[in-house]
Amino acid sequence: MRLTLPMLRMHQAVTDQRGALIEVTVDFDSSIQSLNALEAAAYRIIGIATCEIEKGVDRFICHLTARKTSSRGEPLDADALKVKFLYLVTDENLRLRIADKTEGVRNVILALAFGSLAASQKDPP
Amino acid sequence: MARFQGADAFGAPSDELSLLPFNFERTGTEQFLVSNMVGDFLRLTEDEIDRLIDLRLNPGDGLYEKAYASHLITGRNQMAQRQVLAMRLRSRMSFLRQVTPLHIFVVTLRCEHSCPYCQVSRQSTDRSRFDMSEQIAERALNIAFDSQAARIKIEFQGGEPLLNFELIKTIVSAAKLKSGATGKAVDFVIASNLALLDDTVLAFCKSHGVLLSTSLDGPADLHNKNRPRPGNNSHELAVSGIRRAKEALGPDRVGALMTTTEASLDRVDEIIDEYLRLGLDGIFLRPLSPFGFAIKTKQFQRYDAQNWLAFYERGLRRVLEINRQGTPFREFYAALILTRMLTDKPIGYVDLRSPAGVGIGALVYNYDGSVFASDEGRMLAEMGDNAFRLGHVNDNDYRSLVLSDRLIDSISNSLTQCAPECSTCVFESHCGADPVYHHATQGDDLGIKPLSEFCARQKGIMHLLLDILAKSPDDAAILRRWAAA
Repeated sequence: MRLTLPMLRMHQAVTDQRGALIEVTVDFDSSIQSLNALEAAAYRIIGIATCEIEKGVDRFICHLTARKTSSRGEPLDADALKVKFLYLVTDENLRLRIADKTEGVRNVILALAFGSLAASQKDPP
Repeated sequence: MARFQGADAFGAPSDELSLLPFNFERTGTEQFLVSNMVGDFLRLTEDEIDRLIDLRLNPGDGLYEKAYASHLITGRNQMAQRQVLAMRLRSRMSFLRQVTPLHIFVVTLRCEHSCPYCQVSRQSTDRSRFDMSEQIAERALNIAFDSQAARIKIEFQGGEPLLNFELIKTIVSAAKLKSGATGKAVDFVIASNLALLDDTVLAFCKSHGVLLSTSLDGPADLHNKNRPRPGNNSHELAVSGIRRAKEALGPDRVGALMTTTEASLDRVDEIIDEYLRLGLDGIFLRPLSPFGFAIKTKQFQRYDAQNWLAFYERGLRRVLEINRQGTPFREFYAALILTRMLTDKPIGYVDLRSPAGVGIGALVYNYDGSVFASDEGRMLAEMGDNAFRLGHVNDNDYRSLVLSDRLIDSISNSLTQCAPECSTCVFESHCGADPVYHHATQGDDLGIKPLSEFCARQKGIMHLLLDILAKSPDDAAILRRWAAA
């Protein structure tokens, strides 16, 4: 008989329908907003809310669902949730800009670092 | 001959600048914590970060100098900063050259304690079929000496390892012979509740340089509540054992660890005072791990990361106060994190590194010969989950264990350098992967970090340390001494 392992409590992936839910919709112009950034922001907000991303005509539509109180009993309202998500999207857009400008030099630095590390394995410790 | 370039070589105008990689975290509406590729921190405003990314900087504007000194920008044709970053990164990761330095021998599963948070499935003392055999020990020792590290540590655990002291003596003697033959240095630690410590054990430890590590959860009532045994005298025996060991072996040859339970949360001052009273030089404020009896007795669910962080901050500030009053005393986890944040020393602490320390940081040889990637992996097996069982000493050698598909998958899947959110985290350089924890709590080696209490704890501690470093000069000096030790 296969043992069922105890599932430990994890905070927040909103499947628990016990509390009242907040639902917020935020949409973005798909011609200038990266889907990757939206997905990254959706990942970061998992602890508070779920985010379903829908593709509309020239728009990305993000449907956020959260409980009205956090797992720690702190109140959350729709405006605060929207603001938090917008900050996260802004930050992810910033991260994409940084990555775009630095990916090449990052790979050079990693190659310099780990190339040396691998080469020195031939040296006695 | 190489020469220093003139000052004008380091004052490139903005059109000759190049951005270097960095991570950030928003700490306020227009405030950001930024870290470069090797984890040096600075704080920038939103305007500064925008100007930095667009390279709208000029020598003398303040931001140019800050960004240059923090390796966030470089001259487009300058190689020096790229090489410096590579060299520093290489230094920080050089622990990878010492593969599997830690080898844990579970010499018995028998124990005379009944701790509700115990991470192993302990057997009663009269069931000697839960002892490691000499044959298993010999095979395990061969594997340990095949590891690539120039210096290994053999740690004896259980159950209560002193219940199989004869085997410990056999392993130590055999290991020393192998050490002499191979040139591989070896250190020994016994992790014991010290209830069975006697002069024979102490004499052996003294003559063979064996360290002792024990558990001390705080004052007597708290310790005994956490660690029941017949006679309800666990604290008395632990304290007595610590004193005897310090006297016989030296004050730096015995250490203690505590585990935080729900009962500990409001008593951190008393716990620290107990460590001070016994003349110990520091404390490791640990959370409860999600394994073994801690699950069965529901101890693990009794408090969350925020509860524990509040406990930790009170404890850390108490420790700092003790230092300000003139008594050197460290919080060991903070010291470890600070060493990573303030230096480039290669910290191979197996529970906080990426690539993860499973298998390539430590191997665990269970009493029955099963080999696990970590002690937590062994504890998971006691719950019926063999995900981190790598093999058996009779069937595997060192190479087949550390090159197993299971281990490589676990390490590669949990790399923070590649993981969502981790790879862009401002604290990534100082954090690590814990695939066993995330497997146990989320069913996935990588884990969903926004849901991870491991992640919440690490971030909380690092934010706290940065806050103290920035705002409290006296405490910052103490913390810097810990990092330099």
